[in-house]
Amino acid sequence: MASERALPDAEASRSIPLAEIDRRDERFRISTRRDSDDLKPSIRRFGLLTRPLVVPAESAFIIVSGFRRIGACADLGWNQIPPRVLRADVSAYECALRAVAENSLTRPLNLIESARALNLLERKAPGGRIAEEDAAALGLPTHAGMISQLKRLCHLPAAIQDAVLDGALSFAMACDLGRMEADLGSAFARLFLRLKPSLNKQREIVALVAEIAAREGVDPRQVLMDACPADGAGRPDEDGNRQTQHLRSRLRERRFPALAAAEKNFLRLRQRLELGEAIQLTPPRDFEGTRFALTLNFQTIEDVARLRDRLDRLIGHPDFRTLITGKARGFEGDPGT
Amino acid sequence: MKIAELYVDAQLADWPQTDAACRQFGMSARTVQSAHEVYAAVAASPDPIERGKHVLYLTRNKGAFIKSCPGTRHYTCCGYKILHIGTFCSMDCSYCILQAYFHPPVLQYFLNHDQMESELEQLFASGAIHRLGTGEFTDSLIWEPWTGLSAGLVRRFAGQDRCVLELKTKTTFSEALLDLPHRRRTILSWSLNTERVIGAEERGTAALDARLRAAARAAGRGYPLAFHFDPIVIDEGCATEYCRAVERLFAAVDSRHVVWISLGALRFMPELKAVVQRRFEHSRILHGEFIDGLDGKMRYFKPLRMKVYRGIVDAIRAHAPEVCVYLCMEDDEAWRHALGFTPAERGGLARMLDEAAAGRCGLDRPEDALS
Repeated sequence: MASERALPDAEASRSIPLAEIDRRDERFRISTRRDSDDLKPSIRRFGLLTRPLVVPAESAFIIVSGFRRIGACADLGWNQIPPRVLRADVSAYECALRAVAENSLTRPLNLIESARALNLLERKAPGGRIAEEDAAALGLPTHAGMISQLKRLCHLPAAIQDAVLDGALSFAMACDLGRMEADLGSAFARLFLRLKPSLNKQREIVALVAEIAAREGVDPRQVLMDACPADGAGRPDEDGNRQTQHLRSRLRERRFPALAAAEKNFLRLRQRLELGEAIQLTPPRDFEGTRFALTLNFQTIEDVARLRDRLDRLIGHPDFRTLITGKARGFEGDPGT
Repeated sequence: MKIAELYVDAQLADWPQTDAACRQFGMSARTVQSAHEVYAAVAASPDPIERGKHVLYLTRNKGAFIKSCPGTRHYTCCGYKILHIGTFCSMDCSYCILQAYFHPPVLQYFLNHDQMESELEQLFASGAIHRLGTGEFTDSLIWEPWTGLSAGLVRRFAGQDRCVLELKTKTTFSEALLDLPHRRRTILSWSLNTERVIGAEERGTAALDARLRAAARAAGRGYPLAFHFDPIVIDEGCATEYCRAVERLFAAVDSRHVVWISLGALRFMPELKAVVQRRFEHSRILHGEFIDGLDGKMRYFKPLRMKVYRGIVDAIRAHAPEVCVYLCMEDDEAWRHALGFTPAERGGLARMLDEAAAGRCGLDRPEDALS
């Protein structure tokens, strides 16, 4: 397209039998939404306020824009519709530009639609290259790297595309999953679609699975399956956040077995101290440093006196000694030794 | 060292050392006005780190030749002084921090040795014991085949009685130093690891046996020796393998020649992780149980470190109870567990090492420092 000029005035309106429109030909389809239930009431009451755009092909008309509107008319039992009809000599690239423009200039495209738009334009563009001015005018990205990544989206497995459409997967994570083997990427996508973890948690889960697989020499799909037996299985009654928390916890325990065991031992021993709510004992982060923290909560002098007595008992408690001195053996072994 | 491109700082283009380097490598040096031209050439490569191992930039050290090891406040530092002769390394260890330390990493060799000489002169005149090493930002001996720098330093240190030079390497280029009149003022030291780690993670370095043979030959010529089990890679079976490496060390070398042995578990700046993943696809070093250390580096979970240290220390003590063993960048808790004491109980790590150097290398002990 010459970017300095407008699209040619190459359309006319006329009534066409629906049977003459090949609704299976989706070569210009951008929209990811397929159902048309939301359009039917208005079309039934007011008719087609915005007419679809079609172009004549060898044996039938094909849809350039308005797939859902035409679908709604068919569902309403219409035999004829009054679309705008492009001249037969309008180039495929101009048709593609109109297909994209009629969507992108009337509503925001989602990521998959943007990917489809770029792929469509590139397929139809003279020389296979989209003019930067065209992309910009259509509200599409113009950065070559971004275009290249975005175009890949609509070639990714359906599960990844579905998760993107749902908003469960970011563009960045979709690209990461797209680089994996298709079934592994799809398994992650289905999991994230179900649990809806934040991007940081998704990254953590992906990294943990990859590291466990590499560390143990097992297939990452197996790791994922072990941690999360099957989509929807495990703890179906829990909400996504709780399930995500359990999943991360299971993965972390497998990735960091010694650290996880030490944490568990520490918690077990701390519980046996029966500190209550007034005393909190916090270990050094990851048990790396040497300073523990004791936090005392009180309101009155009498509270402090009671805390003093409890601290005296705490100092003599064998589990407390194990907590303070047992780091080297992961808090295992005989208390107080 | 295979050099593909040789660059020289314009200010040094007509120095005799530049001519010597060109003759050595059989190529002419491209003169550049600024290091950025060299960095740009290296950075343009698909693998700048690999490229940087074959690009040599002859330049001046624009800072100090002698620097204190930076250390951190959370872990005990040995008080070593770095003799900064050049940067980067022609060998290719997966865990090498230099890959992430310089941007981009490139072999640099400093030619302004007059300044280095002047700084050494001042240090020697200070009257205190100092331990210096050239192996912090590079391998000490990769330069030896063409520069003879270490040979010059060995002679230079032989002429004084208060400082000791440590040349740390994974090569066997110590051969060229054997006949020098060193007066035990130079410690030849080798980084050691298990055969498995050397084979998998230390591309282009000498095998364990070759390092130990080189050490034995150096001991035969009276050189004091040191060994560094650093980085210790902790994984299944590592404890046995490190103990076996200790056995091989003492089968090759009489412990009376050993000044010190250091232990340090693998630790790295987080930035290195992506480099290792990209450049060493089959490396297993990242699979350990790493946590964020107090110094911002990734470190193995401390109980794992302490257990492995303890096993290696026991193995060393079984062969050489008198040898000074120390932990590199660890805290008192790790020291007490692995060695049974803290550095403070022995006057501090720096003093322990000064004592070891004084004893094995025959240094003069300043009355006030070591009495």
